[in-house]
Amino acid sequence: MAYTVSFDWTSSIGEVVLGATKSEGGTRKISYRIGGGSTLPFLESLPSSPAPLIAFEVCDNPVFWSPIIRNYCGDLVNDVTGWAKTADSAYGADMVRLYLTSTRLRDFSDIPSVKKTVEAVLSATALPLIIEGSNEPKIDSEVFQACGEAGQGERLLLGTAEAGRYRSIAAAALAYNHSVLAQSPIDINLAKQLNILLREIGVQRDHIIIDPYTGALGYGFEYSYSAMERIRFSALKGDTDLAMPMICSAADSLTIKEVRDAEPALQDEIAVGWELFTGIAAATAGAEIICVRHPKTIPLLKAAFADMKKNPLSAMGVQ
Amino acid sequence: MTDVELARKNGEEHLKSKISAIQKTISYEETAYHLPISYALTGIAVHEPKTAAEVYAKTGNNPLVASECLLAETTAASGKESEPYTGFISDTVIRKLGYSLVDGSILGLALVIGKPESAGSAAAICRELQEKYMLTFLAGEVVPVLSNAGVKLGLDYRLIPLGSTPTYGIHFVDIIARVAMMFGGVTPGDTHRLLTYAAERAKAIVIVFPGLTEEEIAFADGMRVLGFPILSLGGYEGGSWIPALVETVVSRGMEEKGIRVNVTAIPIPMGCSPAFEGKSIRKEEMYVEFGGGRSPAFELLRMRQPGEIEDGKVTVIGPEIESLKEGSANPLGIIIEVAGKTMKKDYEPVLERRIHNFVNYGEGSWHVAQRDLIWVRLSKEAVAKGVRIEHIGKLLASKFRMDFPQLLDAVAVTLITDNAKVLEAKKEAEKVYDERDARIKGMRDNDVSTYYSCTLCQTFAPNHVCVITPERTALCGAISWLDGKIAFEMSPAGANQPIEKGAVINAQNGEFEGVNRFVKKASHGEIERCSLYGVMEYPMTCCGCFEAIALMLPEVNGIMVVNREFKGVTPSGMSFSTLAGTIGGGAQTPGFAGISKNYVLSEKFLQGEGGIERLVWMPSQLKEELKVRLEKRLLEAGHTGLFDKIADETTATTIEDLTVFLERVQHPALTMKPLV
Repeated sequence: MAYTVSFDWTSSIGEVVLGATKSEGGTRKISYRIGGGSTLPFLESLPSSPAPLIAFEVCDNPVFWSPIIRNYCGDLVNDVTGWAKTADSAYGADMVRLYLTSTRLRDFSDIPSVKKTVEAVLSATALPLIIEGSNEPKIDSEVFQACGEAGQGERLLLGTAEAGRYRSIAAAALAYNHSVLAQSPIDINLAKQLNILLREIGVQRDHIIIDPYTGALGYGFEYSYSAMERIRFSALKGDTDLAMPMICSAADSLTIKEVRDAEPALQDEIAVGWELFTGIAAATAGAEIICVRHPKTIPLLKAAFADMKKNPLSAMGVQ
Repeated sequence: MTDVELARKNGEEHLKSKISAIQKTISYEETAYHLPISYALTGIAVHEPKTAAEVYAKTGNNPLVASECLLAETTAASGKESEPYTGFISDTVIRKLGYSLVDGSILGLALVIGKPESAGSAAAICRELQEKYMLTFLAGEVVPVLSNAGVKLGLDYRLIPLGSTPTYGIHFVDIIARVAMMFGGVTPGDTHRLLTYAAERAKAIVIVFPGLTEEEIAFADGMRVLGFPILSLGGYEGGSWIPALVETVVSRGMEEKGIRVNVTAIPIPMGCSPAFEGKSIRKEEMYVEFGGGRSPAFELLRMRQPGEIEDGKVTVIGPEIESLKEGSANPLGIIIEVAGKTMKKDYEPVLERRIHNFVNYGEGSWHVAQRDLIWVRLSKEAVAKGVRIEHIGKLLASKFRMDFPQLLDAVAVTLITDNAKVLEAKKEAEKVYDERDARIKGMRDNDVSTYYSCTLCQTFAPNHVCVITPERTALCGAISWLDGKIAFEMSPAGANQPIEKGAVINAQNGEFEGVNRFVKKASHGEIERCSLYGVMEYPMTCCGCFEAIALMLPEVNGIMVVNREFKGVTPSGMSFSTLAGTIGGGAQTPGFAGISKNYVLSEKFLQGEGGIERLVWMPSQLKEELKVRLEKRLLEAGHTGLFDKIADETTATTIEDLTVFLERVQHPALTMKPLV
């Protein structure tokens, strides 16, 4: 049976460039141009359309990280530069997402250390970087200023902007030409509103990536899926305020009961499974970047994406 | 006294002759924007006399361009001035400054130039600018005057000494030009966008002390093109400079430019949070009370012109708390005066309703009802902690400013506790209430061309779009047309958007081209048509929040209404909750509409189905609730006796009973045009 996948869409997803190579004014070994899709994910007729990117998440203070990952990665978690390097050399990630968890300590004030960490990670890995700044409005201004400055020329993706606090991130993005990760709580209208707020402050559309917020599979992911699907539909129907690439992080997968309470011998396997299937579902819903925390999830996701790309319709169960 | 107009003309002539005399190279260091003002205005990189003359001519002999070229020539020839003067500021520093502006840690920019008569007045102005999160640039004799008086200068103190003469103030403009190009997406040479950016986005004011030369006056006056208010502290007359006093110049300038300081803490000796809203103060806990039928009391919110009121001012007229007897009832008048550039008279009643919430936010204050029916109590505990009547005023003034930052620039509160004065002011207030009632009552859908949407519920009802008109509030009953209008003003990207209703498609059903267009877009293409006044064809979608449901009963050729509180089964054979489950979730269900209870009283109710005479059944409790107003409405429409012909669960619980009842009372719906 002939199956049309064009659905009469009138528009396509905007493109965002992440990372800058030497010739582009940065020091990354590669830069990515993501977005650009003109139909639903994995239905593109061009086999050359890229598979979602996989970002590996690291942090500079592992106290705030899942014990599963701390056990699996061992001492590496105490050395953020080594960890970021391994993400590239051994784990095979496409990007590194650095969480500056050190800033979450009570009364954190060592702003110069933020800049040093970002610089150190930038020299440890040549992959494009996503940087998650502070979680505390009081220090946002200084932290994002430091991140933005340290990464000048590298076209970072800075997160996480929310409707209530986006000014510092927007300022850092504007001042140093980075992109903004804009998160809304599983709600298409709030996603659009935040994009409009960012635009009003001066951030261009090709510098915004939508984070619709990702619940773990079985723990609210169906809401994320539905919000993402509607964001993508609206974009393809011509709503330019929603026509941005999306990013999903499967991080919640590591804290759910089934993973937490798993038998120690099986824990890694279950955690990886949960991340993998949350990641596949998010990619199916339209995410251009999937973030994971377990190194073993990366090759499995890659293989799954390659398969889905090869024969998209059968991968989705369509004959 | 210097005549600004005359001086400006002479100054511009001097500048003109000086421009043609430029011989040397002109440049600044550490910038990618050449001579930033010239570059932003024309896109031309000025580096030598010929291009300088070209840009000057191209900009219509702009005094800012002239001053920039001349200063750049001086700087290139003799280098920067020595400390503490900064001279031209590098791009790297501008990036940081621009960051703070976008980020909101700096609210705006100020330039202070000229020679202050006393160090004290200059220091006071600078201190106020610092306190109000303004980044201040200084040029001319104000710098030595301040530093001799021991005022610390530098970026860390947000007081930046640009140079030794007022001419160095041109750096203030080149900074803004670069911020516009770096952060505002202004392309060099796009004069229009630059001017728009400067006028609308750059929150900049200029404060001028006496003693400027003619050239400096030409330069300062040139900044008016950028939309910066020029505030003069004496010594000048004529022109468009705003005369101001040392004490008020900062607030005047900030007000002029719409720069607002956010209030964060309320200086009162009691907690203030929505957490306390539900807590009532019982008689035993009460120290004093006002109103509630025991003493005269009222509240009123009025709009004033900016400048007429002093922001944050609280006045108590009459005895304070210490002169009131414990346990007594006392007179009280709450008068709130507000001003703001976007404030409108129409908003008064909506804002006035917030007094209720705000007073209840206080840990020891309590408020019920509205207008001249209010009842306010202060608790013993609060009074023991030092709460006085004045603090209620402070609470109100602060909360209004905090919650409506876009709308209000100034809020002043007057609290009257003197009996005679309360009675006098109450008479005035009653007049205002009457005027308002007349205005709101007089407001018809046909009088406005804009309706408002509400898509707040799309979180759970993805394609639901409420269309709110003056005669049809949102189906939840919580948002009126005015509320929608205000919500849009306060949050232009929010859930309430204006809808241009456009051409009429069907006046009776209330179908409009513009509404259809909007609904289609906002429902993500799901809903093509929407009739505002109908139940049968293309009714509005339903989220799940409706106060009541109107639905057709084809057997009796009529429409019934059931409200959420009614637990029983209706003549339709279904209970409210079953019905709600059937029609909710953002769907459009012909024959069913979610409505607010008050909509039953609207002249538009059931207009599409031929009018309110279609109404055949309502629960008795809802009938009772609406009785007085509904009877009045029916009488006005000429339907005498119809109220008693509307059945309820005491007269009919099944469709058979209903048919019998309606035939017995000869309900008009029976003989109307068939519904289906």
